[in-house]
Amino acid sequence: MKKQWIQDFRAIPFLLPFFIAYMIFTIFPIFKGLEMSLYDWTLVRKIEFVGLENYTKMFTDRHFWRTLWNTTFFVILTTPTMVLLALGLALLSNLNTKFKTFFRSSFFIPSILSVSVISFLMIFMLQPYNGLVNNIIQMIGIDAEPKWMADQGLAWVTIVVVTLWWTVGFNMILFLAGLQDIPHSLYEASEIDGASRWDMFKYITLPQLIPIGRVILLLQVLASYKVFAQILLITGGGPGGATRPLIQYIYEVGFNQNNLGYAATMSYALFFILLILSIIQLKSQRSGEN
Amino acid sequence: MRKGFSVFIGVVFVALILAACSGNSDSAGNDVEIPEGATEVVMWNLFSGGDAEYMNDIVTEFNDSQEEYFVNNVQQEYEEYYTKLLTSVGSGKGPDLAIAHSHVLPELVTQGLVTNINDYAEDAGLNWDEFNQNVLDVTVYDGNNYAVPIDTHPEIMFINNNLVDEAGLLNDDGTPDFEKTPEGFVEFLTSLKESLPEDKMPFAFSSVGEDPYRIWWALYNQMGGENIVSGDMENPTYALDHEKATKAAKYLYDLYHTHEAIPLDLADFYSDFQSGNAALITTGVWATGIWETTEDLDFTPMPFPNIFGQDAAWASSHTFVLPYYDDADEDAQKGAVEFMKFATDNGADWARAGHIPAKDTVLESDEFKDMPYRSEYAEVANYVKYVDRTVHARGIQDIVVRNLDKYWAGDAAAEEVFSMIEQEVTDLIAE
Repeated sequence: MKKQWIQDFRAIPFLLPFFIAYMIFTIFPIFKGLEMSLYDWTLVRKIEFVGLENYTKMFTDRHFWRTLWNTTFFVILTTPTMVLLALGLALLSNLNTKFKTFFRSSFFIPSILSVSVISFLMIFMLQPYNGLVNNIIQMIGIDAEPKWMADQGLAWVTIVVVTLWWTVGFNMILFLAGLQDIPHSLYEASEIDGASRWDMFKYITLPQLIPIGRVILLLQVLASYKVFAQILLITGGGPGGATRPLIQYIYEVGFNQNNLGYAATMSYALFFILLILSIIQLKSQRSGEN
Repeated sequence: MRKGFSVFIGVVFVALILAACSGNSDSAGNDVEIPEGATEVVMWNLFSGGDAEYMNDIVTEFNDSQEEYFVNNVQQEYEEYYTKLLTSVGSGKGPDLAIAHSHVLPELVTQGLVTNINDYAEDAGLNWDEFNQNVLDVTVYDGNNYAVPIDTHPEIMFINNNLVDEAGLLNDDGTPDFEKTPEGFVEFLTSLKESLPEDKMPFAFSSVGEDPYRIWWALYNQMGGENIVSGDMENPTYALDHEKATKAAKYLYDLYHTHEAIPLDLADFYSDFQSGNAALITTGVWATGIWETTEDLDFTPMPFPNIFGQDAAWASSHTFVLPYYDDADEDAQKGAVEFMKFATDNGADWARAGHIPAKDTVLESDEFKDMPYRSEYAEVANYVKYVDRTVHARGIQDIVVRNLDKYWAGDAAAEEVFSMIEQEVTDLIAE
């Protein structure tokens, strides 16, 4: 009994550094943010208690709903495509070919680049008149000058494609790990039973990948709801606010309009959306396991 | 024994962490040596590139010119500059001297973050009469001086002499040949377009963001439009003249879409002009400092033409402010104002960056007059139209720029765009 107590006590010094940092930089701001959302709070802390006024304002704020929809639209576009693409690439790089290492590294490399690097790379390639992409389009004989960043529809295509290209590598690695965890004996047994390759994929590979698939789905939804930097850098939320995500609006309200209280309120709205989505997903996972 | 050892390691580790947390950061934060006996004046600036270099030269010159004060010039990232300035001054941990754009002054003044410098200015011998009064005015609130203007930097026009000449549109005196009317300017651009080779563009300009907004603002003011909002700085009223605003926007829209004088969505219109592929560009005066060091670029700067009747140009000013603290170090503040005087007296050094110095006495000096290009557009200082004086200036700019972008892109009609602007600005100022 006493031994266990000493054991626990000795863990404290090792846990403490992280615990302190975590309290100061994560837990404390969460509660501070809740407090701020109840005040009229500016950058220089002129504070006036306004109760739930920020919250009622939020429900009638068109820009909140518009930017929340933009973010949700981004999630709807990227999540399924991300899961399918990551799965496809993982299957491709799991094949026993000469190019196995080449596939794995080339799919993963974009993930190690920073958001500013990938954004400027894309702006450079997609710019009209002398960008690489438009030049190729014209070279193959199509007489068009698509505005990849200035046309409402194309701006979304650009952002989704850039995000997929940039982040698919990490999800591919997760799927790849899942693929390699599937016991080989399952395939051997099914081969003896005369299963085709498609049967093996359908009845062994896919079901075995469901747990990791759920993890990827959850991570992807959470990450996509936090989308901000690549949109800010590539389209600036434009054209005319058409791709402006919620976090950019929060940022503008907080730091350009000097209204941190309301910015905190909207951050809380986003927090609750993510919390609810996570709970739903974890619940469905549990019922799935049962 | 081993247990005792690991407890010991743990304790040592915690002690180290605690020591690291409380350790002093002098060595990390400050790598300049303050001369003995000199009072340190910490200055924050928001410059980058050439501007930063020229400001640094002025600081060095000041520090070498006397021994009483030492200005410690700290360059800050522009993107987060105002957030950082507002919060740090608000919490009493900011610099002794800072640079701020004129459109941010209303926020600083109404929140009590900057000091009234009338008395200090008198002690330092700073003579307000020496300044261009139109520029000085942007720093005066209720009759008190809250900042010292360093410059004004309007949006002006540059022409590529070779291309305009090639098109046969250059007068003998080097000015472009066009009538200063709405039709005259359009005609000039369309003839340029017809005469120039296929791979050259008549007019390089952005079709998103702040640049078209600035030209819209200039045209709106040329028509006699004055404000977006007016009245009280904290609780203004909406005052945009929709008729003029729409007309100004339509004029610029036609340059993009109807006359196709400006290619849409140029990724980098600066480099299009810089590489000699555009006959015309409108951008800030700061480009002068860049173009003049570009090899084989033969250009002339000039005010953006007055085509609607009243002289007007979009501009902002860099200003010096004295952050307010309850327990301010008076010596440092005195030094800061001394430096403000020194820097504005030596405005010709600052003009190297392309900006128009704020002091008329500098504009009249031989040193300034001998500089190439600058005198071509120095007169603009007399009629620059600053944005509205309100704490919401930055928020309003976000709204107007975002909505105008929809119009330039052809996604919304002008009337629609301005009714959106009205709605959003009214919401913003109602807070």
